[in-house]
Amino acid sequence: MATTVAVPEMTDKSPRRSSLLEWVTTVDHKRIGIMYLLAALFFLVCAGTEAALMRIQLWKARFDFLEPDTFNQLFTMHGTTMVFFVGMPILVGFGNFLVPLMIGARDMAFPRMNAFGLWMFILGGLLTYYSFLQGGAPDVGWFAYAPLTSATFSRGMSTDYWILGLMTSGLGTLSGGINFIATILTMRAPGMTFGRMPLFIWMMLVDAVLIVIAFPPLTAAQTMLLLDRQLGAHFFDPQQGGSAVLWQHLFWFFGHPEVYILILPAFGMISEIIPVFARKVIFGYESVAAATVLIAFIACGVWAHHMFALGLSRTIDIFFSGSTFLIAIPTGIKMFNWIATLYGGKIRFQTPMIFCLGFLAMFLIGGLSGVMLAAVPFDWQASDTYFVVAHFHYVLFGGTLFGIFGGFYYWFPKMSGRLMNETLGKWNFWLLMIGFNLTFFPMHISGLMGMPRRIYTYDPELGVDIWNQLSTIGVLVQAAAFIVFAVNLIGSLRSGERSGDDPWDAWTLEWLTTSPPPAYNFEVIPAVRSRRPLWDLKHPEDPDWEHE
Amino acid sequence: MSTPHHASDTPLDGHVPAPDDGHSIETVELPGPTAWPLVLSVGLIMVAFGILTNISFSFLGIIMALVGIVGWVTEILPGRGHIHEELRPEELRPKPVKRADVDVIPMAPGMPGHRMHMPEKVHPYSAGAKAGLVGGVAMAVLAAIYGVVSGRGIWYPVNLLAGMVLEEADTDPVAQLEQFHLLALILGLFIHAVGSLFVGLIYGIVLPMIPRGRVLFGGLVAPLFWSGCLWASMDVLDPVLAQRVDWVWFIASQFAYGIVVGIIVVRTEKIHTTRGWRA
Ligand SMILES: [Cu+2]
Repeated sequence: MATTVAVPEMTDKSPRRSSLLEWVTTVDHKRIGIMYLLAALFFLVCAGTEAALMRIQLWKARFDFLEPDTFNQLFTMHGTTMVFFVGMPILVGFGNFLVPLMIGARDMAFPRMNAFGLWMFILGGLLTYYSFLQGGAPDVGWFAYAPLTSATFSRGMSTDYWILGLMTSGLGTLSGGINFIATILTMRAPGMTFGRMPLFIWMMLVDAVLIVIAFPPLTAAQTMLLLDRQLGAHFFDPQQGGSAVLWQHLFWFFGHPEVYILILPAFGMISEIIPVFARKVIFGYESVAAATVLIAFIACGVWAHHMFALGLSRTIDIFFSGSTFLIAIPTGIKMFNWIATLYGGKIRFQTPMIFCLGFLAMFLIGGLSGVMLAAVPFDWQASDTYFVVAHFHYVLFGGTLFGIFGGFYYWFPKMSGRLMNETLGKWNFWLLMIGFNLTFFPMHISGLMGMPRRIYTYDPELGVDIWNQLSTIGVLVQAAAFIVFAVNLIGSLRSGERSGDDPWDAWTLEWLTTSPPPAYNFEVIPAVRSRRPLWDLKHPEDPDWEHE
Repeated sequence: MSTPHHASDTPLDGHVPAPDDGHSIETVELPGPTAWPLVLSVGLIMVAFGILTNISFSFLGIIMALVGIVGWVTEILPGRGHIHEELRPEELRPKPVKRADVDVIPMAPGMPGHRMHMPEKVHPYSAGAKAGLVGGVAMAVLAAIYGVVSGRGIWYPVNLLAGMVLEEADTDPVAQLEQFHLLALILGLFIHAVGSLFVGLIYGIVLPMIPRGRVLFGGLVAPLFWSGCLWASMDVLDPVLAQRVDWVWFIASQFAYGIVVGIIVVRTEKIHTTRGWRA
């Protein structure tokens, strides 16, 4: 059977246009990474459209632009899409493209499994979206709380689409996680000890471990739910001796580490970009790596902070409140490391860097409102209000997405051989910065004024119209930012300035090969003596390995 | 790593024998393109799709998945599924990394940068541990004096400390708390020893980093700081102690601990950090 796969003719030495078939059958980590990115951008458009529709509906009190049922489907699909089909695939895509290049390997440890993971993600996402054509999308929230998901309350198949779409794409994610661990543990270039790995690699390793820890409980819970719905089991049905709270435990045991799965690679990206654009080494490499491990460890013990409003018990609340406060410590360590890296640096304010600076500012706000929510009495007050929506958008949009944009502008030259346009990049940044804050900052206020989440409208007497209108206007500005990005992406791909191998004067191994790299990445596997192998080559009079 | 960006003459991952023309071509063995992972995933998705629509899709999906697995396995058998990718011609390869023509400003003490490692010398960890234990004794002595002076006996403070773990002590009358309890003694000793040791270790690490006034910092500032923290959290940590604590004695014993540990740590001889070992 293997003979049916044609071995491409290698006689043609000039770079040629690649056919669609080559992309579909590829096992090259770089192409797989790029396909992850493209598919995730497609889903980003879907999720963004859903968000925009919701914002129109919330323009004024008692507006009837959307049916309540439609609104439920939109917020469910927006959350589900952003987490499973945008956030993770983009990060996994960058990881796929970058990990082998950064550690000086020719490919991932399991290249075919890598392709499998990609297709499971894409097809799982499409399966979930197919529900729109089958009588309605899932409408139980991305967290799918029992007993709302039981056959009694969720009729039709929409919840089953949610279960099976996520289960199948989750299988892909899990295989990706295993692949990253195996690759990073076994395929590093000679001399690249753990202490010399780029921080992005550290973060991807920890991220992959979190994936392997967090996804099986979700899949198990979804299997139980499927049994409940299809075969009459009663895992989550309290009336038959099941437990609705059990679902919340299982879901959030996945759900909180998931937040860190979504942020750690972005941490990794800015840990690569900030030093290059500040022309300094990262401040406290060891502490950044150690803080990452610590975050992952603590992240597995905080899940019930999503359940304070449930009334579990005082002891449990105190434990999970304490552990949540604790996670601010390693996160704070990293903030200080990044800021200390900037301090005294010769900063170049190019687009990748300004997105990183935006990241620092926005993530700080999201982190601080997170600490506020960790206090149990405050959480009781703010739970299920727009304050929480504001909080996690500052973390996942202001944090992860700003980091991802920085990553796009930074590594796009390596993927395509062309630079993205700086002017459009600055427009992209400022429109996004303004639009983002205009959308999400007012949600802190409307939330504290009592506006509940996941409700299709609000009461005029609440007095939150103005804050909602600001948020909706913000979406318009954001849409402009995304259009600028799309124009920049397509325009630069066609006619961007040639980047050369190493446009940023950077220090990690991906910049040692051409842009784009050949299928085999490196003619000769480089040997590494320090954390910045390219610095050592550029400054033989003052190599890093003398100091590390 | 003299010229890592040029192909060397040494064989790479895969070195195929010379083809017809008799010249050796350098190649790299890479996994070849394949559709089997795609076939397997389409099969699995079909299984799910069948559950959602019509179960016959699931059967089709199972078959497809099996075909995908078999195809995949045949491809990872030795000698199959790989291609030998030729290295690019020299002109398409990466340009050699150029030596930078900018001068690097040498790092000097006082400049922010990675080559400054503070502190240069530290106390050995054992100093912190030892000091912590001695400080713990000083604290215990003061607590015992408090027990005697207050007329409640030396077991009273021990029982209060054990109240951190022993929940029933919450409801015990004071008279009970004045008696000797073996379990409370063991628990109290354990909590006290671990706490003293741990804080002592922190002292050993932190004190060398304080520029001046180390004893003042260790003896007064730090105990005052954590006393404040304890005051705020005592209700949660140890409700038994929270109800009955005598704050004057409590803080005094913290100072006793801080001063003793501070003095012992500061007096131990410093050793060079690992950074200093580089010749
Ligand atoms: Cu959480």
